Amino acid sequence: MKLSRRTLLALTVASVMLPAASQAADSIKIGYQLPLTGNTAQYGQDFKDAAEIALAKFNASGQIPVPVEIIYEDSRSDAKEGVTIARKFVDDKEIVGVLGDFTSTVSMAAAQVYKRSGMVQLSQTASHPDFAKISEWQFRNITTQNQEGGVNAKWMIDQGIKKVAVIAEQTDWGQSVVKGFVDPFKEMGGEVVYTEFFNRGLADFRSIITKIEEQKPEAIYTGFFYEDGAQFLKQVAQLNAGIPVYSTSAAYNDKLIELAGAAAEGLKLTATFLPTRADANVTEFVTEWKKTHDNAPGQFPAQAYDAVNIMLAAVVKAYPDVTRQSLRDAVAATKDFPGVTGNTSFDENGEPLKELTKATVKDGVFVEVK
Amino acid sequence: MSKPLFIKLLLLVIVFAVVPFALEGLGKGYYYQIATLAFVFMLLAASLHLVTGVAGLLHLGHASLYGVGAYVAALLGSKYGIGFTYGLPLAGIGAAFVAFLVALPTMRLMSIYFAVATLGIGQMLFLVFQNWVDVTNGPNGVMLFDGIDLFGYAINSELGIYYVVAVVAAVSILILNRLSHSYYGNALRSLREDDQCTAAMGINVTVMKIQAFVISAFFAGIAGALWAYTTGYISPNDFNFSQSILILTMVVVGGLGSLPGVLIGALLLILLPEVLRYFGDIRNIIVGLLMFGAILFLPKGLFGEVNALNFARRILGSAWSEDNSEKGIGWK
Amino acid sequence: MFDPYILQQLAIGVSLGMIYALMAIGFTLIFGVLNVVNFAHGEVYTIGAFAGLMAITAFAPPLLVVLFIALAAGAFAGFGLERLAFRPFRRFSDEASLKSRAMREATLMSSLAMSIIAREAMELIFGSQFQSIDLAYLINKPIEIGPITIVNGDLIILAITLIMLGGLQWLLKKSPIGMSIRAVSNNALGAKYCGINTDRTIIFTFIIGSGMGALAGILVGLYYGAIFPAMGFTPGIKAFVAMVMGGLSSIPGAVVSAMILGLAESISTSFMPSVWSDMVAYAFLLATLIFFPQGLFGARRERV
Repeated sequence: MKLSRRTLLALTVASVMLPAASQAADSIKIGYQLPLTGNTAQYGQDFKDAAEIALAKFNASGQIPVPVEIIYEDSRSDAKEGVTIARKFVDDKEIVGVLGDFTSTVSMAAAQVYKRSGMVQLSQTASHPDFAKISEWQFRNITTQNQEGGVNAKWMIDQGIKKVAVIAEQTDWGQSVVKGFVDPFKEMGGEVVYTEFFNRGLADFRSIITKIEEQKPEAIYTGFFYEDGAQFLKQVAQLNAGIPVYSTSAAYNDKLIELAGAAAEGLKLTATFLPTRADANVTEFVTEWKKTHDNAPGQFPAQAYDAVNIMLAAVVKAYPDVTRQSLRDAVAATKDFPGVTGNTSFDENGEPLKELTKATVKDGVFVEVK
Repeated sequence: MSKPLFIKLLLLVIVFAVVPFALEGLGKGYYYQIATLAFVFMLLAASLHLVTGVAGLLHLGHASLYGVGAYVAALLGSKYGIGFTYGLPLAGIGAAFVAFLVALPTMRLMSIYFAVATLGIGQMLFLVFQNWVDVTNGPNGVMLFDGIDLFGYAINSELGIYYVVAVVAAVSILILNRLSHSYYGNALRSLREDDQCTAAMGINVTVMKIQAFVISAFFAGIAGALWAYTTGYISPNDFNFSQSILILTMVVVGGLGSLPGVLIGALLLILLPEVLRYFGDIRNIIVGLLMFGAILFLPKGLFGEVNALNFARRILGSAWSEDNSEKGIGWK
Repeated sequence: MFDPYILQQLAIGVSLGMIYALMAIGFTLIFGVLNVVNFAHGEVYTIGAFAGLMAITAFAPPLLVVLFIALAAGAFAGFGLERLAFRPFRRFSDEASLKSRAMREATLMSSLAMSIIAREAMELIFGSQFQSIDLAYLINKPIEIGPITIVNGDLIILAITLIMLGGLQWLLKKSPIGMSIRAVSNNALGAKYCGINTDRTIIFTFIIGSGMGALAGILVGLYYGAIFPAMGFTPGIKAFVAMVMGGLSSIPGAVVSAMILGLAESISTSFMPSVWSDMVAYAFLLATLIFFPQGLFGARRERV
């Protein structure tokens, strides 16, 4: 350990003494495609911020003698743009791996390019059930809903809840939320009395909520992101429905509480990331994040942070011979990576295996449920 | 060699030799992607040109018909294993058929009402793509793994795909050009200028409109199929309202009624955002500003019909004739 | 029949309808009455919401002041919009240009360009996420009436809709400026020859219509607690549908149609998956165009 540190120090000193030009030429480049403008820009901006924290930390640590550089390209969550960017990244011989995209639609359209050309693609959020199966080059750092739904189903059964209404957004992700929950819940003896999808960005949930009330479920299981979640919770409170709401890690964001206020109280969800968890990695990330943000980071930026770190760790593993193939193998070999969203390993399909934490909103903050 | 032939050959040489040579020389998939995208959108703009530019009907749902074509191609490919050879024409026919169905009741509407009706149709088709999960796979989209397969020969190289797309788009645009510069096209133009007068001349206005709408949808469907085959994955969001607006913008910026103008408009709006990529966040504002500037200073478009005629006469010389012989206006 | 479930759905439908009506009023004034195709109304609506929001975060004035600030911002935005996107295209006032489709579509495209610029700029400044609003300002405090629940916002929106509707009807039918608005929309050149200052009339209409649009924006934003740059799109389409159903130039017609639309949407949720509920609006639109080309209330119009 001591020896390696000394070596690193020597290398760092050497790299400082060497002309800056040669250093820049030697940098390892990674592409990151994400929406920086358009309707989903808020997510993309968070990813970029998280990635920069991870990257700054990595380059300062000097684990390898050359710096790593991330090239960001704006996909606007538009498949056309996503494919174009993918081609651009593939063309650039210096880029050895790619992170992103945000939505499954864009990630999957771009994945066809990466599959053909052989470039590792690690998405922090693409949740389409088939994404990781496209080829050996695709990986993701988001727990699948098969895993999350099962944990939630068990949680509800443990609470004695047998009748549940399920609603989710009408996207590939929402579909997987419903499927991932309903199957295990029924197996455990629960009953799903009502299933409904809604279009993302729906302003008015009241008709749906009234319909849910009519079915008299003991709980509502929901698949939404924090913005739709805030709308839904506010309107549940407004109609005084008084039904407990369960959700997934996608709703985990301090903004949810900020937008919904008291209506968010009692929301239960599963997450892999808790900014309050006593863990060195988490504390470090949250501290850095809060230097530029008012809120603690949510689930998605945390996933992006880990995705970047997993990629960087793979670069270290593959160094000095970092090629697209060696990087892919290094990513695939990721085992028990200690990130802020828990320990991550990839299975043979490129799906992550993580541990889930249960959380609830109490007095305006997310707290862990033991 | 006569001049018009020369111009034609020059265009052909550029499209089928210079551009692919340059692309191959650069050896970058990125440029191939942009070239393919440009062809798809040039074809889309050219097909919208027939309805909006020539017949003067403001069409706000063109992207949905493009989507029908893409879905037909992708679903035939992924569910029934029907490849490019039959999938491409079937995609066009599928889009034309859907257009025919929706055209029957709505095509007697005029001006802004027509625009509103096409907006409604476009949104309804989008909802169908998005929500008819059993058939369209809903928001999960459709993946199409087999690339382009032409009469049993699999075409995998980027150059090959470029040529296939370029040939299909060029032939389609040529047909659209012939159509819009024929007697038929002139009848559509008269519809644009004054539909009551046209009806008085004994032209069945409604039938003409339905025909133009269906033909335009056919080529939009072809464009959709090209997009599906070259991308390999489609989902409803590729065909939403903003895409319709994008295509309409190409037609308007390029110039209503002028095919060369429309094609240049399409090229501009595909290339501009790419060129402006370095501007990062503000590039869409720049696109909006340019669009505004183009409309403000060139209200008839870059190459509106009148301007385009002058432009063509000046640049293409005798390639363009506007005499009163049987041929009417158009390229010889 | 009148079990609480149906009553609640009806109440929701009425409140949805009123929200659409609120948006439809300003929209119909510019689009239908003045007969100017304006695609940027949705952005004016958003600007109103953001202006109100900024006032709230800056100095937390009472609600009424917030509404007036939004109104003023909307009026200003309408003025600017007219100057930038519409005025330049009236520079040709000969008959051929007035009739020319290219000129009409030029304003359509220029307003579209403006709306793109405004939306992108707002996304750049504020980010595209939902903005945080001081929760005390939200007008969604529940009020229980027997078995059904409404919120205080419903009452506020109802009152404002009625005031706007009554005021505009008076303005258009009785006041001189209203007369000139109708004259300009009917025949701009003719109105000019009669000594009406067409430019001033058009600007005035834009100011009134956009002010109302902006007021609708802040009210709906506070009603749902959701203010974000793309918020104007969906209500814009609904207002458009309501306007066409109401017969294009009739403001009361648009308001009644908006109510029908809201009720139909909330009731349709009972019979089919909610993802299809947008289909109702478009189906209404097409049905109106096909079967009632004059609008549901038979406004006079020559050709559709």
